[in-house]
Amino acid sequence: MLTVSVYRYHPELDEKPYMQDFQVDTGGKDLMVLDVLNLLKVQDSGLAYRRSCREGVCGSDGMNINGTNGLACITPLSACVKNNKLILRPLPALPVIRDLVIDMDQFYKQYEKVKPFLLNDTPAPAIERLQSPEEREKLDGLYECILCACCSTACPSFWWNPDKFIGPSGLLQAYRFLADSRDTATEERLADLDDPFSVFRCHGIMNCVTVCPKGLNPTKAIGHIRNMLLTRAT
Amino acid sequence: MSDKRPVNLDLGTFKHPLISMISIGHRISGVILFVGLVFLFCLFDTSLEGPAEFASAQALLQEDFLSQFIVWGLLSSLGFHFSAGMKHLVMDLGHGEELETANNAAKFVVGLTLVLAVLAGVWVW
Repeated sequence: MLTVSVYRYHPELDEKPYMQDFQVDTGGKDLMVLDVLNLLKVQDSGLAYRRSCREGVCGSDGMNINGTNGLACITPLSACVKNNKLILRPLPALPVIRDLVIDMDQFYKQYEKVKPFLLNDTPAPAIERLQSPEEREKLDGLYECILCACCSTACPSFWWNPDKFIGPSGLLQAYRFLADSRDTATEERLADLDDPFSVFRCHGIMNCVTVCPKGLNPTKAIGHIRNMLLTRAT
Repeated sequence: MSDKRPVNLDLGTFKHPLISMISIGHRISGVILFVGLVFLFCLFDTSLEGPAEFASAQALLQEDFLSQFIVWGLLSSLGFHFSAGMKHLVMDLGHGEELETANNAAKFVVGLTLVLAVLAGVWVW
């Protein structure tokens, strides 16, 4: 039997959130945390959490698993359970709607700010905008982000300034378009980021790199943006 | 229905990787150094008042355990603040931004701090 302690909060019934313990029979198998949640759902159908693809592609089931942010669907029990206890809490710093479901508004607002789409003011070619393999290679490690919010909600700088600091996820995307050879708005993008908070609140704590379920490196991307801002200013 | 949504920000429930501990430690040691300067300035001020006061300040540093401990604490904080600061500077130059290198650098900072703290202890006592 595995003890699972889950963060519970029902906006219509509870004044404050609390932790509820469940006993789950895993049948001795190394299940994924999401499988355990599905077993809990059988015990208590009122338990709320987000999930969709169940294979680490959609980024819906980001949560705080035994103290570390991660995707429930691709985190095996063997990688997180200590002393036969699993503790599930919602992602930090964003408002909880119910149980493990958080309001991601603030996170998406920061994503919107970086204009996550190609900006190109040259006339569109007849077929497509071409890129050399080398130019395309620059986007590797940047485009794979699934916006699960594990990184931004693990970042102390984002905890204290979620409205002003873009956060690791947004900045990774910002650099994805700064690095794109087909994008012509580099100057405008940099001008938008050039303030004390948007980029420079990153202090290299690297919690984002530690937790990213896709193995991406926002810290490095932020370093590149910082260099671009410095070059632009001199 | 409660209109204020709770936020999960109970720091005690999170795991804090070594790299992040170094980062917050860098700030804490900075504050310790700043506050500790008051003690050092007071001691310096006393030592400048005359030969007798100089001797008493000297005696404090040679015999009083509490003063020695404060000086040792400040030197150790300085050692940590300096090595963690160097790590941050090197990272700002674009090196060691991979998780593994950063982890090793963090361990190196801890090791270096311990060595410096021992050396400071030898020098103080």
